[in-house]
Amino acid sequence: MKTNNNKRTRREAKAIQLACLLVWGTILLAGVGSINACSKEGNGDGAKTDASKEVVKEKPQYYKVKNVELGATIDPAMAKHGTQIFDVTCTGCHKYDEKYVGPALGQVTKRRTPEFIMNMILDTETMIDKDDTVKCMLQTYLMKMPNMQVDEKDARAVLEHLREVGEKK
Amino acid sequence: MKTKILSLLAALGIGSMVVLITACPSAKNTTADAGDAAQKVYVAPGKQDENYFFASGGFSGQIGVYGIPSGRLLRVIPVFSQDPEKGWGYSEETKPMLTTSHGFIPWDDTHHLQLSMTDGIPDGRWLFVNGNNTPRIARIDLTTFRTTEIIEIPNTAGNHASPFITPNTEYTVAATRFSEPYTFENGDVPIASAKENFKGALSFISVDKESGKMGIKFQILMPGFSYDLSHSGKGASDGWFFFTCYNSEQANTMLEVNASQKDKDYIAAVNWKKAEEYLAQGKGRTVKAPYMRNHYSDETHSATSETVETVVTLNPAECPGLVYFMPTPKSPHGCDVDPTGEYIVGGGKLATVIPVFSFSKIQKAIADKSIESDIAGIPVLNYKAVLHGEVEKPGLGPLHTEFDANGNAYTSFFVSSEVVKWNVKECKVIDRAPTYYSVGHLVVTGGDSKKPWGKYLIAMNKITKDRYLPTGPELTQSAQLYDITGEKMKLLLDFPTIGEPHYAQMCPAEIIKPKSRKTFKLLENKHPYVTLGEKETRVERKGNAVHVYATAIRSHFKPDNIEGVKVGDEVYFHVTNLEQDWDVPHGFAIRHNENAELLIMPGETQTLKWIPKKPGMYAMYCTDFCSALHQEMQGYIRVSPANAKVELSSNAAKDKKPQ
Repeated sequence: MKTNNNKRTRREAKAIQLACLLVWGTILLAGVGSINACSKEGNGDGAKTDASKEVVKEKPQYYKVKNVELGATIDPAMAKHGTQIFDVTCTGCHKYDEKYVGPALGQVTKRRTPEFIMNMILDTETMIDKDDTVKCMLQTYLMKMPNMQVDEKDARAVLEHLREVGEKK
Repeated sequence: MKTKILSLLAALGIGSMVVLITACPSAKNTTADAGDAAQKVYVAPGKQDENYFFASGGFSGQIGVYGIPSGRLLRVIPVFSQDPEKGWGYSEETKPMLTTSHGFIPWDDTHHLQLSMTDGIPDGRWLFVNGNNTPRIARIDLTTFRTTEIIEIPNTAGNHASPFITPNTEYTVAATRFSEPYTFENGDVPIASAKENFKGALSFISVDKESGKMGIKFQILMPGFSYDLSHSGKGASDGWFFFTCYNSEQANTMLEVNASQKDKDYIAAVNWKKAEEYLAQGKGRTVKAPYMRNHYSDETHSATSETVETVVTLNPAECPGLVYFMPTPKSPHGCDVDPTGEYIVGGGKLATVIPVFSFSKIQKAIADKSIESDIAGIPVLNYKAVLHGEVEKPGLGPLHTEFDANGNAYTSFFVSSEVVKWNVKECKVIDRAPTYYSVGHLVVTGGDSKKPWGKYLIAMNKITKDRYLPTGPELTQSAQLYDITGEKMKLLLDFPTIGEPHYAQMCPAEIIKPKSRKTFKLLENKHPYVTLGEKETRVERKGNAVHVYATAIRSHFKPDNIEGVKVGDEVYFHVTNLEQDWDVPHGFAIRHNENAELLIMPGETQTLKWIPKKPGMYAMYCTDFCSALHQEMQGYIRVSPANAKVELSSNAAKDKKPQ
């Protein structure tokens, strides 16, 4: 069994909190609230979602990569390297145009910031744990994206590859 | 009730030893000292143990890894025995590891463990273990906790005095417990000609400093005795190696009686630095003796076997100063060297004393030619001349000795079921602690090294009887943990062990833990059948061989639908685990396959062979619970008759899809 102990503890803590709420008779409201919170953003990942409709309430906090500088144009050498990494590391779960194990990534650079993408690759566990968008996506996919131990240089190359794929459309 | 009987016996003035022996079955209610024992072995949930304890699995052929002080079993490392759970000896990659000059041998009997050492202190790189039955030595890589090399030892029967190592891991040794004709090819002689024809080979196996790779450097041709146990010299005695031997009577039947005739057998003191000089002088003789060397690579994730054709032998009669015999009372077993290297302790199974030899006295006896006799050109040193002292009335059936850093020794006593603590310099007994029951080996943290960490002692007992819930006629073996920080030893814990542990090694976790590997890097995978990403998945036919280039990631295989496999095909599933996350192996099994499963670590490729015998639909699935959708990690292989016209197809990325 692969479980994250910290996560489990946190989940248990949440369960206790929920139980307390139940005692106070507010569980119904709390429950509806949490489901509603994901109804828009939860599907904000596939080909069919209109990215413009996503509402980012506040700037999310990233823990590993704070800022990503993008070149004005695509760096072809970097994108080529990124393609190789993507093929080996990502295609087990991601396709470009359709939902597979995880969301389609052909247009991901249009709907996610470079920081989101970099942190999703490099700081996967924290994103799953803390990022509201990713938390909601988990309700759709039920499969936690694994950390594939890609280093920052390779992750940046994957981002460049995804920019290139996005521009071709 | 039992306590009352014990008190009564004591009151009658019967010696404590007799009480122990006669009261053995009555001791069943004896428990650890109630005091703070529980606190000392309690490792709270989520906390980790302070020591690694590696115990040989004996007839299981494997190694058990435990945490101390809790006694929790952490892992069973497959070594000489096939392990279907891990695919060890079943996957195509691991089969060569169990190959010998006599074919594929799926079992052995592991006895003794040694951690690699630098300057006489365990360095946490490798763990060596002997195979007793089909003589072999295995090396475990302690970054992966897997067997990475197995070398066969030719001209050896019962490789028991093995794989003890020199202080800088220059050599590990092997020895023959059954004297036998030298070489195996010359073995077709009457057994009654043993005295004339049988020899005892002692092998010195060099270990490469960087890679750890083993190679037999030389064999010393000794008289046909039974070489039993050994330990390397260190500190003062660095450059020497000590081997006990019994059956100097050279009996070939009923050794129980016939090998116990003489008052003394021997410890052979071997000057291995001298051996190197003789080799350099060309005194070695090359003899045909084919043996195999198997190596597992973490780059190709595969094992390869090679045959080495010859060994170099040294004859002590032609090499003065290479070997000396020291008379040692009554069929000595254990052969242990104290942390300074000055004292060598022999455990005479049937002796009433523990003899302690002094290395400086050995040197003096050699210089003074204090020699009693000569056996086949090997000088026998005078017992009194080399003796430091004897521990009087230590107990019954002394076997093995370990040491702490304060000049104390701890000896196991099989017959009287106890561990006895004694002072090495004074040869005086300090304390004794009962074991339940019949202790064989014992181990102290770093207790055979130059700097014992001490603190814990573990007795490994041969008989458990009533110590655990009964499980039919066959019972677990038992280890018992003692606190040795004080003057008196304190029993803290009983815990069960796998197989039958003989020797063990124990060291602080910090020596090994930081180097422990988490995954294999996918992009560094050099397996000939690796599938680097799902885009590369495919199925290929070459005659009646079908190669499936498959990937596994939470939670699907690609391909998971295959058609066009026919009865009698040799199907090879080369499964690459694409995960790069710690603790996410995937398992792989096929219905009705006359084989085991695969257990594939992240970034690794392993191959399962399958020869379908009947047409039909064959399910395959992941056997290791990998995610919430683990149950969905499954697929189908359609098998058609040998003459069917179904074309090979699959839903792999590169294949023609099934119709």
